Amino acid sequence: MKSLSPALASLANVFRVPMSMAPARPSVSRVCHETLNRQQQKPGPVTAALQSASFSTTGAMAKRKSGGSTTDKRITMIRYFLHHPLTPRPLRFSRNRYLRHWTIHRAWQLFQAQQRRKQELELMRQYQSMQEACEELRTGAGDGGKLFRVSMNKKGIFTDMFPIEYARMQTETPPAEGWNYDWKKPERK
Amino acid sequence: MAAREPSRFLSRALPRASVPSIRPQGFLSRRNVSDEAPSRRLSDHLSELESASSLSTPVPDSAAQSFDPVARAKARKTQLPRGRYQFRSPKYDRGPLHPHQPPPASDPSSRLFVPGPFSAPRAEQTYDATVAADIMSLCYVHTPPGFTPPPKAPRLREWDDSSPYHKNRVLRGPRGGDVLRLLRKPIKFNNIPEIERITIHSYVNKAATENSSWLHVAGIAVQAISNVRVETFKSKTSVANWGIVPGRDSVAVKAELYGENMYHFLGKLVDVVLPRIKDWEGVKGTSGDSSGNITFGMEPENVALFPEIEVNYDMYPPKMIPGCHITLHTSARTDKDARLLLSAMGIPFYGKIVN
Repeated sequence: MKSLSPALASLANVFRVPMSMAPARPSVSRVCHETLNRQQQKPGPVTAALQSASFSTTGAMAKRKSGGSTTDKRITMIRYFLHHPLTPRPLRFSRNRYLRHWTIHRAWQLFQAQQRRKQELELMRQYQSMQEACEELRTGAGDGGKLFRVSMNKKGIFTDMFPIEYARMQTETPPAEGWNYDWKKPERK
Repeated sequence: MAAREPSRFLSRALPRASVPSIRPQGFLSRRNVSDEAPSRRLSDHLSELESASSLSTPVPDSAAQSFDPVARAKARKTQLPRGRYQFRSPKYDRGPLHPHQPPPASDPSSRLFVPGPFSAPRAEQTYDATVAADIMSLCYVHTPPGFTPPPKAPRLREWDDSSPYHKNRVLRGPRGGDVLRLLRKPIKFNNIPEIERITIHSYVNKAATENSSWLHVAGIAVQAISNVRVETFKSKTSVANWGIVPGRDSVAVKAELYGENMYHFLGKLVDVVLPRIKDWEGVKGTSGDSSGNITFGMEPENVALFPEIEVNYDMYPPKMIPGCHITLHTSARTDKDARLLLSAMGIPFYGKIVN
């Protein structure tokens, strides 16, 4: 058994990582490995010669003409992983650790609520300033509301749908040339 | 007093962290251009840390002498439960009058508690940062203060009293069909359309005609691409060609995605999968249930393009990878608004647009 540092060992204890060499239940990689090995038994010349002797690893049912189970090994594995019942156990803490966990949890919820509130207020601010600008155009511009009427005309903006060029998920490092000034609205087929 | 001394593990671990390593960029051996991005730069994060340890702060003598946990515990009128005590949420609902009630689902001890979200998906950040505000300003219609729109005709029509039998009859449905469409309210800052959930549904007819392995492979493929446990469904209708009897055969799997899972899935769909589909024009313009939910289908070879399936492609029987229907449920009340939102998120539409 490999010796771990005390910090790692306590972490392993907390997360229930099995430390012994023989794991309690077969690990994913071991199951995959074994099943795949069983699937592709391509004997080399030496093993082929050995197998032509009286000893065989073929199962008795598989040897029969009617055949045993011919299920694809991959399907067997998919069923294993789909149905295996182990889910992580619920968190079990002592009083102090539970309190710590609860504090962090509440702080995170509070932080998220604040973020949502901030987002909502920002949208409200934008909406109200749009409203004020339009009202100012309508009454205070002094041109009988002509500018207002022009600004309310929705011709030529994407009220129907956005062009696909608009839909670009934001990145941390946008391209050096971020805006294509020569872009024209493509003709609809 | 042991509590006042720094732990021996801590003292051993602290200098290790401050040893200058060969790679100053942290634990990754690969360097990317994006590592230089302001939010990823390690030095900024390190400068936020306090250099002084709070453990070395001297405790005043008065505090140390008044610290007597045993006396404090004894002075309590009712004793606390023991330190290892766990509140266990009841397994079964025994009604509102039972003394053992489950905590709210947001409580970590609840059986319904789901921790997270643990990441900020890119699609969600894009929506919050640009798409929401853009949709709001595109759909803005100015109404002067004090303006009230004229009342519309009632959606359910009265019967003309031409017959005495019309008395006390239920009202007539709208013209042209009995479906009452959803009411569309003007889009303001508090009802900007957003994506509420995504449903991935896959109907596997071979699960009934052949064997259950088709359903299992479909289930694990959908689970892999969605990160959500799937539900299976039995057929409701009988299909004579496939020999499907209602209520007998499990033929469909469905996964419902919310929140973080949903935005990650949408991001993968828009950035990775859809651009690689050959000769795909987009979602049909006639798709939609006229109340803001848009559905499109994916062929099996396109489902195999999802990165989770692609990296592990050999572990799926290639013929059994399922196709699926993906429904994007939005909070928009009409298909037009839903398409506006989805096109802003990067889903192309083609053909005749029907609203």
